Amino acid sequence: MRGSSRIVGALALAIPICTPAKPIAFADGTTVMAEYGAGTMKEIQIFYAPEYNYSVGGGHIEYDSVETPASQSITYLRLNYLLHRWNLESAQANIFVWGGAGSATGNAFRGAEFAGNAGAQADYETRRVYASVQTDWEGAADFSHRIDTLQLGIAPYEHDYNRLAAWFLVQARDYTGGLYRGTEWAALLRLFKGGAWVEAGVTNNGKLQAMAMFNF
Amino acid sequence: MKKLKFMAAALAVLLVSSASAATIEMNVNGLVCAFCAQGIEKRLRKLPATADVVVSLEQRLVAVALKDGQDISDADLRKALTDAGYKVIGIERSDESIAAVRARVKQDKP
Repeated sequence: MRGSSRIVGALALAIPICTPAKPIAFADGTTVMAEYGAGTMKEIQIFYAPEYNYSVGGGHIEYDSVETPASQSITYLRLNYLLHRWNLESAQANIFVWGGAGSATGNAFRGAEFAGNAGAQADYETRRVYASVQTDWEGAADFSHRIDTLQLGIAPYEHDYNRLAAWFLVQARDYTGGLYRGTEWAALLRLFKGGAWVEAGVTNNGKLQAMAMFNF
Repeated sequence: MKKLKFMAAALAVLLVSSASAATIEMNVNGLVCAFCAQGIEKRLRKLPATADVVVSLEQRLVAVALKDGQDISDADLRKALTDAGYKVIGIERSDESIAAVRARVKQDKP
């Protein structure tokens, strides 16, 4: 237990802020995900993991600034890699990194630009407690966005396999690149069973944040 | 001579018991979510000797039922779980049916 607390502390300090789903679900697994982020971003992704420690795939993301009229659309390919996993007696902790490239269009520049993306996530999870920090960057010649997310969650009961799991989460999200000024807070309800995961909630501005993910 | 016969008999019983194990139970670290269980189940069901799989997050247990007359070595089981991203702490073989294991796991839920 003392070891677990130390890991939580270390994760909280290690990376600026955090996120939700793992970018690699399991070996020989396909993950399809769609996310709506409080009016500032919409994203869809599909990944295949040949092994438990990496996955490859692609996605499409659209950014809409709430501060300016700027918007961008990026279609990308990405490699996710599990840098390290700690399998503890009743807990698991992971560090993931990812990176890729794609093509971006936007209303503030002409044509398509080469776009890069990179990020990292650290998470710690038991069947009652969840904590993750994530940083995600997408950029091109005419824009650069970084979204840092911290999520802390608690489960009202300990779920088991093939039973519905429920989580209450608090999320803090910080944007750079003019998408949103200040830190955006959100309260979320996460439900998953088998390979299906849905999550929805509201931000401090009363906007919807939602995500759905399917693993098979 | 008697001692030798006894040892041979004991060894034979052990070998028969091992060969006829109906279920293999593994104690596994890192089992915390449905995706863990899903990945492990998928990996184990690919083994030709696997008849059924039970995963319990509560018990940190992964149980494999074997097809009649078939077996999976401890090394292969450890490899399967390691390749799925988890750590096997212990392996036990028994004659308990997978249905009994499933019932026990269900009964042991808080």
